[in-house]
Amino acid sequence: MALLKDPPSGVEIDMNKISSNLSEWIVDVTGAAGTNYEGETFQLQFKFGPRYPFDSPQVLFIGSNIPVHPHVYSNGHICLSILTDDWSPALSVQSVCLSIVSMLSSCKEKKRPPDNAFYVKTCSKNPKKTRWWYHGKF
Amino acid sequence: MGNCLKQPNADDISLLRGAENNQTDGTDSSLLGPPPPYQVSGPMYHPTPNISRPVAQLTEEEQVKIAKRIGLINQLPTGVFDGTRKAKECVICMGEFMVGDTVRYLPCMHTYHRECIDDWLMRAFTCPSCMEPVDAALLSTYNSL
Repeated sequence: MALLKDPPSGVEIDMNKISSNLSEWIVDVTGAAGTNYEGETFQLQFKFGPRYPFDSPQVLFIGSNIPVHPHVYSNGHICLSILTDDWSPALSVQSVCLSIVSMLSSCKEKKRPPDNAFYVKTCSKNPKKTRWWYHGKF
Repeated sequence: MGNCLKQPNADDISLLRGAENNQTDGTDSSLLGPPPPYQVSGPMYHPTPNISRPVAQLTEEEQVKIAKRIGLINQLPTGVFDGTRKAKECVICMGEFMVGDTVRYLPCMHTYHRECIDDWLMRAFTCPSCMEPVDAALLSTYNSL
């Protein structure tokens, strides 16, 4: 449990919420210093299916503060290729969290995805059911 | 044409384990036994990483692809972990290698438990650590011999 003992800065596991159900984790992440999200705290929900780590976990933002970012929908769904097509079983909760913090950090302008209203109205509850189209590299 | 993959009882990687004893060359049908009964819940195959389907619902093309994949996986060297290698942990299951564990070596020199990596390679033919496509790496290994 390297993530518990020695978490990277800005990533913290909520142990109280995990202890009741091991297949659902809540992780608090903090926006990196010097970026548009400095000082903001967000909650990420991880849901691990029976085929984890061969299948990616379901990861989304939950709670009252959903980051305003071109790849994050207002319902918490995240458009990030490693969460579906580019998943690797070598990725860990820690590396996924760091990728998400890094994705936030590289944002120049805080705005929602252009199709936010339509997507949020029509999407499945499970972001893994969305056919994501990935543009560009992070 | 019917299924060219036999329906195993346990899970999809059981095909890999029994490959030595179960080779069906089309002439010796006594090894096959009677056709298995129709099963709704059987082993799942992954024609592409995010799709899981039982063998009966695979197209002929997908069956050929999976059969080739099984053959290629069997070409990858395996060994028994003896504690002398640098690798300490299988990054798929996050468990430490124990002396006596069966491991598989990929051409990029990344090492995993055989069970862990075979399960992944049936879905995607890339190294989980460096994302190197395993088939391309296999070919370049052959070419350099």
